[in-house]
Amino acid sequence: MPTIEVQRQLLPILGSPNQGARFFNPELPSSEPFVPGHRTCAGCGPSIQYRMTSKAAGDNTILVGPTGCMYVANSSYLCTPYNVPWAHTQIGSAGSFTAGVAAAYEAMIRKGKWQGKFPNIICEAGDGSASDIGLASISGALYRNHDCLIICYDNEQYANTGIQASSRTPYGGMTTFSPPGPEVPEGKKLFPKDLARMMAAGHPHCYVATASVGYPIDLMNKVRKGLNNKGASYLMVYTPCQKGFVYETPRSIDLGRLVVECGLYPMWEWNPEKRAYDYSFRPQTMRPVSEYLKLQGRFGHLHAEHIAKLQKFANEQWRMMGVELPEALIQAADAKNLTNMSAAAEAETVAQTI
Amino acid sequence: MATATDAKKRMVRINGCVASAQAAKYADVDVIAAYPIRPYTATMMALAQMVANGELDAEYIVADSEHSQLSISHGASSSGARVFTGSSGVGVQFAYELYSPISGSRMPVQMMIADRTLDPPGDFGSEHTDALSTRDMGWLMGWSCDAQEAFDNHLIAYRIGEDPRVLLPQMVCQDGFFVSHITGDVELPDTGQVKEFLPPYKHPYPLDPRHPVSHGPQIMPEQGPPLQLERARAMEESMPVIEQVHEEFAKIFGRKYDAWLEEFMADDAEVVFFLQGAHAVTARFAIKHMRDRGMKVGMVRLRTIRPYPTERVREALSKFKVVGVIETNMGLGSVSSGGVLYSEVCAALYESDKRPLVLSFMAGMGGEAIVLKEFYWMTEKMLEAQKRGKIEKRTHWVGFEH
Repeated sequence: MPTIEVQRQLLPILGSPNQGARFFNPELPSSEPFVPGHRTCAGCGPSIQYRMTSKAAGDNTILVGPTGCMYVANSSYLCTPYNVPWAHTQIGSAGSFTAGVAAAYEAMIRKGKWQGKFPNIICEAGDGSASDIGLASISGALYRNHDCLIICYDNEQYANTGIQASSRTPYGGMTTFSPPGPEVPEGKKLFPKDLARMMAAGHPHCYVATASVGYPIDLMNKVRKGLNNKGASYLMVYTPCQKGFVYETPRSIDLGRLVVECGLYPMWEWNPEKRAYDYSFRPQTMRPVSEYLKLQGRFGHLHAEHIAKLQKFANEQWRMMGVELPEALIQAADAKNLTNMSAAAEAETVAQTI
Repeated sequence: MATATDAKKRMVRINGCVASAQAAKYADVDVIAAYPIRPYTATMMALAQMVANGELDAEYIVADSEHSQLSISHGASSSGARVFTGSSGVGVQFAYELYSPISGSRMPVQMMIADRTLDPPGDFGSEHTDALSTRDMGWLMGWSCDAQEAFDNHLIAYRIGEDPRVLLPQMVCQDGFFVSHITGDVELPDTGQVKEFLPPYKHPYPLDPRHPVSHGPQIMPEQGPPLQLERARAMEESMPVIEQVHEEFAKIFGRKYDAWLEEFMADDAEVVFFLQGAHAVTARFAIKHMRDRGMKVGMVRLRTIRPYPTERVREALSKFKVVGVIETNMGLGSVSSGGVLYSEVCAALYESDKRPLVLSFMAGMGGEAIVLKEFYWMTEKMLEAQKRGKIEKRTHWVGFEH
């Protein structure tokens, strides 16, 4: 059977410094596949992420939106914020619908039914879809290696339904399904599912990475690496939710940096060629988790022992990345030491001592 | 019309599953979404081999569940590809969430169903409950009674569903084992005939980066009624297209089907069976035998249940004295406390001046064969009702009564 070879896009990697973001960057493409006019909350982390990732992808792109905030708050009938094709799919269909789009374009281009370069096919799944109900469908798409990028915009909860715990909600995170009370003082008792590592371990032929809205250039480069990779890629992006995390609206990007600086959101890439993790990303500072927690109402109920548990968790993440821990952070993983830091001002000095 | 290429037609002896796979091949499908469950699996096995042999150029996807099968199909169809998928029994139910979104976005996905009884208990046999439970989801739906009809129905369904006046998904159903696994003579057409009958799939608003569109955005409640009305109208307005396509099929392929009903020895019949699918084959034999003994019995077989041909059913059934509905499906606690076909028949007859008596026969449950003597028994029940002029008992569980 005569077939036509499928031509694919190659997007340039941005050379701007990884850490810098708050200035005009002439390297950024002018296209805006995701435009204003939607109904997301002020300071919405997922929608900031949406703009960055779609901008990095450009106009020859198809977006898939499983049910979640980025469906419900974005797409209003007769008033769509998408400048590229976009389709809603069911919350459990993230990977499978995306696989269908990718398979269709493979077949249509090969059979001469559609002419042009293979489009960037991006799925924007919330963490509820990606870690719970749509997990199998995403695993299927990664395993079969469809040429697509699946993004989990991780706001660590089911936000659109009114803040319910997901498998990504951190230990101690208050949600309407994990409220604190006299019997359960910490609220959420379980630690989150290590979703990105699970994807890397289970689908080692895929490009897998974690990112944060706090580092936009890094995020956009990871999007492009994922899209340039012929086959399936997976990106998990920290995207704070003002409504659910309960913080001051302008601090979304600050949280996106603090969560990395305190070790609760390790930044890494899985290199499918070398079959190895790349832990070379380093934040400018290391901080105790309390610096991150204290900005958010969802952690306001935590006692010293709970904060120490979270510090212990963060320390484990640092160790996994091969980072040597400063003494202060090891100390902070013990509740006794935390209670000794009687004032917030005293705790803050820990950051400087590192 | 197609006589010039008739020489390339050939007769083969294949079962219903393989006939469906052949139809998908002739339709030159682009994306196939497979997941194993008996008995439809054999269709996907046949397609996998065709792709491996290079006979068919398609993306063959082994999905991780039926839910994913239908989501893959939805995504691929939304992008402009012709899609084929299928399932049986609880697999049909596992994908239930997707049926409404697919018909709502007007994507002409085609799904082959070889019926299987739902759990519990685990049972491979054919019962129509799996597909019938989805009958109001906006999919075109009908049953074949043998392998040739299954082959034909797949091509006919693609043609109807992809018609820009229709744009609806289709469930092309056949009884598990009775059709799916029993071989019969099937005429495979010349590819020229199929090309003439089935033009390439072209959706007016696919997900194409050159013409950006948004599929399935959120609506406000006040936007609901017009959208739902539009989907209801699409179903209704497909009816003349369905008739037209059946006529064109007959012209090109030489096999003439009534789009809605097959009537067998019904002209002078006083009592008739009303059923769907494979048991019609046994019914035809039983009716011939009973005719030899002077009983005025016939059969009306429903070929298309969605859209439901209300007027046709009323016209066809009003002329009889008694109608015996053979359910082969479970409608637990339904109108007749039997199956769901009974209420469809009675609703169609309600506005008739001459209403026949209607009985509901629970037969063939769990995929049990309905044997000749059971057809004789059911005929006697209908004749008794005719003599009495009223029904004594609405629903009969065949094999549990004298």
